[in-house]
Amino acid sequence: MFGIDRRLLQNFDWLLLLVVAAIVGAGIINLASATHVDDELTGEVRRQLLSLGVGGVAMVLVLAIDYRHLERFATPVLLVCIALLAATLVFAPIIRGSQSWLFGGRLQPSELAKLGLVIALARYFHYNPPGEIRRLRALVRPGLIVALPVGLIIMQRDMGVALLTLLIASTYLAFTRIPWRSWVGVAVVGVAALITLWMFALQPYQQRRILDVIDPGRDPLSSGYQAIQSRIAIGSGGLLGTGYRSGTQTQLRFLPTQHTDFAFSVLAEEWGFVGSCAMLSLYLILLLWGLRVTRTSKDGFGAMLSVGLVGTIFWPLALNIGMVLGLAPVIGVPLPLFSYGGSALVTSLVGFGLLMNISMRRYVF
Amino acid sequence: MPIEDVGVRRLAAGVDPSVANRLIFITTFIVLTFAVFAIRLFQLQVIEGEDLGNRARRNSVRTVRLEAPRGDIVDRFGRELATTRPAFGVQVMPSELRDRELTFAALGRLLDRDPSELSERVGTPKGRRRFQPVRIAKDLPYDLRTRVESHLYALPGVFTDVRPRRYYVGGSLAAHVLGHTGEIQLEQLETRSFADYRSGDVIGQAGVERRFESILRGRAGGRNVVVDVVGRIDEVLDEVEATPGGTVVLTIDRDLQRVAEEAFLPDVIGGEEKHGAVVVLDPRNGDILALVSRPTFDPNSFAGGIDSAIWKRLTESEGRPLQDRALAGQYPPASTYKVFVAAAGLEEGTIAPEDRVFCPGTFKLGRRTYRCWKRSGHGWVNLHEALARSCDVFFYQLGLKLGIDRMAFFANGFYLGRRTGIALGNESAGIVPTRAWKERRFGEVWLKGETVSASIGQGYNLTTPMQLAVAYAAIANGGTVFKPRILLRQTGPDGTLEQGPEPEALGKVPVSPEHLATLTRALEGVVYDEGGTGGRARIAGVRVAGKTGTAQVVHLKETEGLEEDEIPFKYRDHGWFVAFAPVEAPEIVVVALAEHGGHGGSAAGPIVNAILSRYFKSSMPEEPPRWPKASEEASRVVRN
Repeated sequence: MFGIDRRLLQNFDWLLLLVVAAIVGAGIINLASATHVDDELTGEVRRQLLSLGVGGVAMVLVLAIDYRHLERFATPVLLVCIALLAATLVFAPIIRGSQSWLFGGRLQPSELAKLGLVIALARYFHYNPPGEIRRLRALVRPGLIVALPVGLIIMQRDMGVALLTLLIASTYLAFTRIPWRSWVGVAVVGVAALITLWMFALQPYQQRRILDVIDPGRDPLSSGYQAIQSRIAIGSGGLLGTGYRSGTQTQLRFLPTQHTDFAFSVLAEEWGFVGSCAMLSLYLILLLWGLRVTRTSKDGFGAMLSVGLVGTIFWPLALNIGMVLGLAPVIGVPLPLFSYGGSALVTSLVGFGLLMNISMRRYVF
Repeated sequence: MPIEDVGVRRLAAGVDPSVANRLIFITTFIVLTFAVFAIRLFQLQVIEGEDLGNRARRNSVRTVRLEAPRGDIVDRFGRELATTRPAFGVQVMPSELRDRELTFAALGRLLDRDPSELSERVGTPKGRRRFQPVRIAKDLPYDLRTRVESHLYALPGVFTDVRPRRYYVGGSLAAHVLGHTGEIQLEQLETRSFADYRSGDVIGQAGVERRFESILRGRAGGRNVVVDVVGRIDEVLDEVEATPGGTVVLTIDRDLQRVAEEAFLPDVIGGEEKHGAVVVLDPRNGDILALVSRPTFDPNSFAGGIDSAIWKRLTESEGRPLQDRALAGQYPPASTYKVFVAAAGLEEGTIAPEDRVFCPGTFKLGRRTYRCWKRSGHGWVNLHEALARSCDVFFYQLGLKLGIDRMAFFANGFYLGRRTGIALGNESAGIVPTRAWKERRFGEVWLKGETVSASIGQGYNLTTPMQLAVAYAAIANGGTVFKPRILLRQTGPDGTLEQGPEPEALGKVPVSPEHLATLTRALEGVVYDEGGTGGRARIAGVRVAGKTGTAQVVHLKETEGLEEDEIPFKYRDHGWFVAFAPVEAPEIVVVALAEHGGHGGSAAGPIVNAILSRYFKSSMPEEPPRWPKASEEASRVVRN
């Protein structure tokens, strides 16, 4: 029944694979331009190709095994992710104020944790359908599942990723039937509690410390600079772009972190409005197709898992593009599948492996 | 099969209709988000595209970091010890060079440097490195700077810049107190306490510079500027001003410090420059008035990145100029230790002030003979005479009666054998040996003969000059051990000078005031009695108390029978002199150590004399107190 079944091949989701391949390919071509020095392949491109290889193999492995087995492993997977996060706190060095890399920068456990969390939540909501949740109290247990990894990520001082993980988990709230009055209540109580705590319980030095954690020494000027440069880069792309490897902003390195967080600016400068819209369309197809997998999946676990996977792509995409276009504050969130970064690429590919897995087994009993 | 089980459970339901319903909501949300992005892209690229494109082509925005000038370090009267001055540099932007050969030829002429060397320094970088300016000069003298600046119009790609640079007004003056600055190390960057630093930042790496880094540092600012093709600034977009670092006011008295340092120079002692250390304390509160370690170094040579040749000389020189001998150097306290043995004897009732002991010049214990430094002996001496003339035999006997552990108890009571906690650099703890200590350290039992050596501060005993100063300050002030204090005032968070930490008493010595008075009289006898060893500390008009010490570096046998100047330098004894004055109400404690200087009285005495003379000649500073307006001066430096 594993892998070799002809029906599986017939139902294989070629569209999904094609779109993913197009985005990753464009990302690597873009990376080559962003890091271009001579006419040789740069180290970043080589490392990204290597990650693509690793991710591809992982994707095939994930495809071969029926996703329904995963349900039983949801808890162990989450525990492994939590253990890795904890290990990061103990062993990892602090780089630029946060502490999030293991094995000499080869593994970022917070990337894996996003996937682990989605699997665990999918299992939880499979047995506790969110459509039956009508009271806030019912969110306590899934809340605990989310709180542990997010707490550890906050302790690594990686606020961007912590926020992102929360947003991904919040995707499931769309299915609950908690009345909006409850949410207003939550908001009022929460804000009031925070203000009271801030004003009466905290000493000024403690307040400063909290502000430091929220904004670990980030130079206000440097993020302002990034925003200006990014806007100039995108704008100078115009309708048709400056052409590959011809963006002055990119090639003269005015753009900061242009191969990671601002990779989309490079694309926008060199390929213009047409290119950027084409890229956004690919992502839109990907997301809508993912939701179609949810609708057609044959069981609750598959549905909940696939919708969570759509969340793991949508939220970082929204934050990143929002930041690049100057609509959101500058928080260092890379663009999934497109930005440079090995752990992120491998986890995204594994995520799509799962999505295709659900998709191609929709008719299999 | 397990899969069937899992599948069947919720199969009947398929996808929950409510889920399908909510999927439409999610889909709408996603589509709307993308619509917003598309509109924004249209606005930026199509509507504003031309405008922004022009800006990218003609101009470029750069961020210029505005370095925060480091705060000043001043002495107790507000006189500058370390400040910040502008350093003028020259940079070349390789991408903007026009006529390479001509430019470097001109630069060579202007800077008095070899054009080919300059050209090599800049090289021919490719790719992004073409846009990184290369500094070809860091700290130009004024005349060269004006020469370069008046030719800049003809040299595209060449810029001058101004950066604040640490400047130690007195050169090597108080180098070990002030420490030095340097670029932040990679290992430091990885620790949490330096989380808001970035590579290339200059931080305090030793001494006061390091200890009070958080006050001195300030906050760097920045400026987003639009530059034209030649790199000239067209427009300033926004700016965050640099906040200059705060001022640190030390307890040091700059005049006294200078006198103390100069006392080591050849013209005062005669012959070559001496190695050693000086600590000057105010016994009433523990304020450090001067702190000297010789040989020394010039911290200015660290300010702009240290030259490897200088660094090599500093670290490999036999005199180890970077080591702070006053805090980290451990020496046998020798006869200066006798006063603590005497205190133990009085307090324990082992000896009364009037008890006499006969010193024939030698002392036999078992088969060994211990000599008094005076071979002919001191004859009958009481405690006062024994201290004044530094009779060894008297203390051999007293030490044996007390036993090593009682002696150690009192030495510890004066805070010998532990760090004073001054927290400037690496302080040593010294050693006050006990039976238990020897058992722990060597796994051997204590020998009686070792008690004999310990009673005159030899053997295992080791003390830092700072510890000795703190202990004698306690005798001078009637029994209070003060933690040495270096910080008098500092700029607080609101920008005004505030008081530093209050004087901190570590404890009381376990000796009664009467016995301390007895000891003080004996120490005065060291200076004024006939046969006293410390006559060189006498100064006009002030009563001085003191104690000499001569620490053996090697066993006597090595140097036996040699005249003093025949003994190789490294085998010569260390000379100690400890003094406080005025005896009736002490204001100053001086500890001087002359490494390999020979006898304490003759080697270290003149140093103490010079310091006391200076202190009592003018207790007031020569210049009127002057508080530098640090923020104004410093900001002028950066803004230029």
